Amino acid sequence: MGKGGNVDMKWIRLKYKKWFNISKDGLVKNNQIVIAVLGICSALAVTNRVENAIAMGLGVTFVVMASSMTVSLIRNLIPSRIRMVTYMVIISSLVIMVQMFLEAYFFDIAKALGAYVGLIITNCIVMGRAEAFAVKNPVRYTLIDGFASGMGYTYVLILVALVREILAFGTILNVQVMPDAWPKWVVMAMAPGGFFVLGVLIWIIRELSKNFEVEMK
Amino acid sequence: MKHNLRLIIFVGIMGLITSFLLAGMDALTKERILANQEAELKTTIMKAYDISYTLANLHEVFDESVKIMTHDGLSFYIDESTGYVSYVFEGSGVWGPIIGVITLQSDFETIASIVVLQQEETPGLGGIVAEAKYLSNFNGIKMVPSLEINKDARGAPNEVNAISGATRTSKAFEELLNESYARHKAAWLILNG
Repeated sequence: MGKGGNVDMKWIRLKYKKWFNISKDGLVKNNQIVIAVLGICSALAVTNRVENAIAMGLGVTFVVMASSMTVSLIRNLIPSRIRMVTYMVIISSLVIMVQMFLEAYFFDIAKALGAYVGLIITNCIVMGRAEAFAVKNPVRYTLIDGFASGMGYTYVLILVALVREILAFGTILNVQVMPDAWPKWVVMAMAPGGFFVLGVLIWIIRELSKNFEVEMK
Repeated sequence: MKHNLRLIIFVGIMGLITSFLLAGMDALTKERILANQEAELKTTIMKAYDISYTLANLHEVFDESVKIMTHDGLSFYIDESTGYVSYVFEGSGVWGPIIGVITLQSDFETIASIVVLQQEETPGLGGIVAEAKYLSNFNGIKMVPSLEINKDARGAPNEVNAISGATRTSKAFEELLNESYARHKAAWLILNG
């Protein structure tokens, strides 16, 4: 067997590795926004500028990883009837502690993140991953899953934000890219603009990946 | 019964652990957070007065160059060389409190500058209320008879353009500025009676 064969074999083996499949799920196959349609509220609120999208994406990624890890660590102790409440308590305590830490030692970052923190706690993705994955998987896989889901969320946010920031302000990351005469399309900066762009994006991706519900005959 | 008991024990322990962690974190960070906020207030005021300082000597410079007057719990920070006066305003925005520092010229009517220190408005929309570029519109505007933040402002001396797409934040900001001005003006008149 030649060298090319080895590469092929490696690729085939990779496809059966658990971490690879978890990442693929989070980033593409079960993308939290496009396929699961979770986290839409925050996605509409913060995608009018690319910098907001990046900050929110990283914040959510961090919180998903940390909360999934905690849920996974105590998953055998959580009584199933009150698991939702437990997730909520874990998520909000974590976020509040992180916020206090930032305010004390990284004041500037805390100021820049100020408005996002509340939105992170209420992000359905955090709860969704705890319930759908972390509560039945060991810690190392939950970390991969949290990272992949968070990154899947982040890049969709950035895509939407790119379109909206260009149309609404003529800028990318506050750097002007459009001519001065660019007519600023204010509705794109507002929530309805987010609905349009996100809706069209989800439609395109689902059409390309043939991921839609088939009507039962 | 046994199952319920387990539930109650779990909730109790979870509550204990999380409150212990939160209380511990609060105790650890409280002083630093307060110190940070105090430093932020002082640097904001000194920037408004164009006083130069470094991170090392900001408290000394502040004590030397800014005079503080207090009446009824309301504090005024006065730059004695120009007569400019600053005070902290506070009120509720759409999603949470908006806190900031307003500096008035010596007539106590004309705005010299406004800085927003804390807000939780929608990022990119209402959040614009904290951006220096938007706040510079307030410089030179009169607080009397009352400040107005309107869509398509026509340039009256007491009128500022609203943030497009954030009508409710603009309205809330107008109300809280006017409300805090009224309270501070009453106190200011008594102090300088």
